[in-house]
Amino acid sequence: MAYTYSKIATYTVGSGGVSSINFLNIPQNYTDLLIKFSGRGSGTSGVMRMQFNITTAGYSNRNLYGTGSAAGSESATGTSSFFSAVNSGNINWNSTTASTFSNMEIYIPNYTSSNYKSISTDAVVENNATLGYQFMNDGVLNINAPITQIDLITSGSETFVQYSTAHLYGIKAEL
Amino acid sequence: MASISLKYKSKQGSLTAPGDVDPGAMIPIATVTVGSGGASSIEFSSIPQSYEHLQIRGLGRSTIADTNDFAIIKFNSDSGANYTYHYLRGDGTSASAQGSGYGTSDYLRSAGFISGANATAQVFGTTIIDILDYTNTNKLKTIRTLTGKDANSNNADGRVYLFSMLWGSTSAITTITLTTQANWAQYSSFALYGVKRAGA
Repeated sequence: MAYTYSKIATYTVGSGGVSSINFLNIPQNYTDLLIKFSGRGSGTSGVMRMQFNITTAGYSNRNLYGTGSAAGSESATGTSSFFSAVNSGNINWNSTTASTFSNMEIYIPNYTSSNYKSISTDAVVENNATLGYQFMNDGVLNINAPITQIDLITSGSETFVQYSTAHLYGIKAEL
Repeated sequence: MASISLKYKSKQGSLTAPGDVDPGAMIPIATVTVGSGGASSIEFSSIPQSYEHLQIRGLGRSTIADTNDFAIIKFNSDSGANYTYHYLRGDGTSASAQGSGYGTSDYLRSAGFISGANATAQVFGTTIIDILDYTNTNKLKTIRTLTGKDANSNNADGRVYLFSMLWGSTSAITTITLTTQANWAQYSSFALYGVKRAGA
């Protein structure tokens, strides 16, 4: 049995926090990429954005979400990063329950192809209150180049706080 | 004795099962399949602390005299009011959401939407539970669960959920217990996997 699910890189945020987490020089020998992200922001927005290959245009995004009391759906096109349609709450922010971090999985199939890049995510933000977020997102980035860099970025001057973790995995299909 | 690494072998390669096989990042830890007579609980105990994340994949059906039931999860045998829940739900007609802060046992239901005894025969609910950083004692534990079942009909007994749950403890998770509002029915099956981090 061939192994199919490989660990590529791990980033754990240290004291002081960081404004972005960057996976550079991503190996091109897998079929898909997967990121497991457990994050919390230092400020009030709770928004984590993603960019690929330092591209700042051509993203579109569609989601289904729950807030703890209502469900809805949003979309956006022509944005500068993935997740731009979600203006709050895809990671924990500073007024959510202390020591609580989001639970998110990001899936990027066929990342080395010369077609546009599709992205899907499942994410939850827990909180000791009625308010809590669940997201299912899907998006596309209009670039043809293989993905070699992924940046996870906070909003404005905020940071990912200590103990936030991001893990990049490669998934290989039998071809 | 010569050995051969499978790491870069294709399926056409020489698969001789040497001792240096790289098993990858996702490792099966344990599987429980319920036998005839059912089971009151499914428990994974003495969970190894050497992984970064845990994932549970399973399918379930309970013996409750109803069409639907929920799998109930608890950690380290904690039955206190230390669990929140939130969900996003679709039933084939509309989407809805609900949530609550810390509560008692009614709120421990974030581990799966499963069939009851009155559901269509042989239909089980499926569930995938992701637990990140389960050994990290600086974090409360946030659980994400994608679950659902269909009833081969258009009624609301078929649903899909994205659940989240917060276990308000920084303790490392060593035991996971899955129950229903009755007993697990035969053929319910849950598998626990460990997911490694880079460098591990």
